[in-house]
Amino acid sequence: MGSMDGRSEHEFEDESLVSPMELTKMTNGLTGIHHGSFSAVEQQKSIDNINTSLLRSLKVILFTSKINILMPCGPLAVVIHHLTEDQGWVFFLSLLGIIPLAERLGFATEQLALFTGPTVGGLLNATFGNATEMIISVHALKGGMIRVVQQSLLGSILSNMLLVLGCAFFCGGIVFMKKDQVFDKAAAVVNSGLLLMAVMGLLFPAVLHYTHSEVHYGKSELALSRFSSCIMLVAYAFYLVFQLKGHNESYERVNEEGGQNEGGTDDEEVPEISKWEAIIWLAILTGWISVLSDYLVDAIQGASAAWNIPIAFISVILLPIVGNAAEHASAIMFAMKDKLDISLGVAIGSSTQISMFGIPFCVVVGWILGRPMDLNFQLFETASLFITVLVVAFMLQEGTSNYFKGLMLVLCYLIVAASFFVHVDPSPVQDKKP
Amino acid sequence: MMRPVDEKESFAMEVETIVDSSVSSVKRYPPEMPHNGPLSSVAYSWILWRILKRLSKSIKVVIFGTKINILLPFGPLSIVLHFLTENHGLVFFFSLIGITPLAERLGYATEQLAAYTGQTVGGLLNATFGNATEMIIAIYALKNGMIRVVQQSLLGSILSNMLLVLGCAFFAGGVVHSKKDQIFNKAGAVVNSGLLLMAVMGLMFPAVLHFTHSEVQYGKSEVALSRFSSCVMLIAYASYLVFQLKSHRNLYHPIEDEEGLNEADLDQDEPPELSQWEAISWLAILTLWISILSEYLVDAIEGASDALNLPMAFISVILLPIVGNAAEHASAIMFAMKNKLDITLGVAIGSSTQISMFVIPFSVVVGWLMKQQMDLNFQLFETATLFITVLVVAFMLQDGTANYFKGLMLILCYFIVAASFYFHTDPEEKDD
Repeated sequence: MGSMDGRSEHEFEDESLVSPMELTKMTNGLTGIHHGSFSAVEQQKSIDNINTSLLRSLKVILFTSKINILMPCGPLAVVIHHLTEDQGWVFFLSLLGIIPLAERLGFATEQLALFTGPTVGGLLNATFGNATEMIISVHALKGGMIRVVQQSLLGSILSNMLLVLGCAFFCGGIVFMKKDQVFDKAAAVVNSGLLLMAVMGLLFPAVLHYTHSEVHYGKSELALSRFSSCIMLVAYAFYLVFQLKGHNESYERVNEEGGQNEGGTDDEEVPEISKWEAIIWLAILTGWISVLSDYLVDAIQGASAAWNIPIAFISVILLPIVGNAAEHASAIMFAMKDKLDISLGVAIGSSTQISMFGIPFCVVVGWILGRPMDLNFQLFETASLFITVLVVAFMLQEGTSNYFKGLMLVLCYLIVAASFFVHVDPSPVQDKKP
Repeated sequence: MMRPVDEKESFAMEVETIVDSSVSSVKRYPPEMPHNGPLSSVAYSWILWRILKRLSKSIKVVIFGTKINILLPFGPLSIVLHFLTENHGLVFFFSLIGITPLAERLGYATEQLAAYTGQTVGGLLNATFGNATEMIIAIYALKNGMIRVVQQSLLGSILSNMLLVLGCAFFAGGVVHSKKDQIFNKAGAVVNSGLLLMAVMGLMFPAVLHFTHSEVQYGKSEVALSRFSSCVMLIAYASYLVFQLKSHRNLYHPIEDEEGLNEADLDQDEPPELSQWEAISWLAILTLWISILSEYLVDAIEGASDALNLPMAFISVILLPIVGNAAEHASAIMFAMKNKLDITLGVAIGSSTQISMFVIPFSVVVGWLMKQQMDLNFQLFETATLFITVLVVAFMLQDGTANYFKGLMLILCYFIVAASFYFHTDPEEKDD
């Protein structure tokens, strides 16, 4: 019964949320100990418990973060989709609507991770960290929009490596202008190595196809892509094992990547929701994101026509900026607190995750769904990824950062964004020119 | 400037013994200033004498101060040849040789002026005028619409600085100090390498966009992209200057003394040899002279290519920059042999960074103003060459040491590059 006292204390804190009716029910329940049958009182109490914890849960999840102001955009997008033909608005609103859901998903993941210990927690972060991008990609795959999948995943990598990291370095450098900030070189180097391996995995199918040197034109590189994806997934699995078992310390800092609240950094932090609540919320949020992604993906082509922007720009630049908005904010915040390792974990770790897990996983899902999703991202996209990974790997290898490095990365991102603004896929006719 | 009379008189008497004819000629000079009396003529003669003396000292310092100026007569000679003969090969060759000493003197004047203006503006001066020669040549070529020459000469300047100049410096320094590796300030080299990589990125995107035929409007999109990227690169370069000169001055100080190349500017106590106004005037005069010669140079390129039977690419990428960089080359080697490798790096890599992040985007913007289609699409071969070169050099520099073998490797790489351009012409544009 001690817990009940504890809970009632909590309720008095939450008085603003608990309606007077609930309160009277509770007090009746309290006094009910003294008369009435024991089981009825218990039943009453358990229902009340569920009600109050539900409300508390809702309060924590829905009302504690300011970003949730954007939540109504989601349902609004659905409404507009059924009312009008204006794909531009549907796209825009569903994009905005996904942002808070993605952020809350990260929060729920991090809360759950607090219950499961570092190993499974790390795994959770590693898998759900980019759940939003994965869900959008799976929907696009189902719709047969292979280029959108490729470009949105690519854009997510580019945005994490250049924009998020650059903003973090820049803001951190401005705050700490006296000297360079330092971060753990080893983790950055391992991640850079993995990114380069991913680039290799993407380069070979693309180059094989474009030098017209496949055994079966078009089919060989698909088979190669599927094989390479399995290898990349194996590499990623080993990377997780390597991090979680051998190098527990350094990973714990990276572990916090899902935690957007300051609370996530200390292990002694009391979780704000219980384990089952976290799991339930994870499921609910994933479901909601899935629904909105469906409308989002359907609206892409219409939006491209309505706004007169190439689809490439929408997939590579717009989608990821929004999908990463929450990680973006947290990376900047950690950099300004001189916890650059966490920023790096958020930014580069996310890129590694997408390139070594997200992309191969999509290829495998495509294989299962019977879609020809491959690792041939076309020459321009592959070249962009290659040069970007090189630039970033080079910047990171020294282990220090200052505002100028951040500015350089952000300006590089501007160049990349501008390139995709004037980029369309070449028409297939030219493909056959020797 | 009215000094006490007796001082002037005594001075005038000293002067009179030396220069009689000039004094008498001064007396005939109609005085415009409303002074009367015999004092005014003496004052004038004194002023004129001072001017002449300073002028002759200035000329002596600037024109006769270094041995390289033996090549100075080649400039006027080339102009004469241009009007007398049709032999473009000789005109090209002579104007090229004529520009070399002018470029060196321009660097000297810049460094002298920098001694007056303090570190910040001095660094800025070096950063802007350091490659004034290349910029002037590029602008003239742009005016003539020779876009490929601009692109290739700037590219060649970067390649020559990164491979040839740096390689020779490392090699010479390594041979002199062969006991152990020389070291240099890693931080500055890494930042410069990062900037070079960013420049490569800026050049690669338009080129790859164009050659994968994936522009929204074939041909036009990548010019627009080039112009946007150039503005971004100029902003990056400006921030780099701010960063170097303001925040991290102590980190980069040794490298800052880059383009000015006499031993004099190493020690802050060395008195400058020219006064501030002399430095400025000489800067203007030398720039003007270089402009004139550049015009003849650029006009003669195509003819020289036919006459000497060399591809234009080879002339633009290899020959032009070797000569344009001759002075920097010599000073980089000299500093390496004195074990001041940071200055060498500042000269070589700093110059490359300057050209790639400032001169190239600047040329694009100038081309934009002149309505020329100058863009960042340096064509695949040139872009690929730059990319691999930057990677090789960035990798060499990252551990902060140098020895003669690294220098030799860089030089040999340059030979490979030069040989490639010897056999390179632009492909015919297969437009759809």
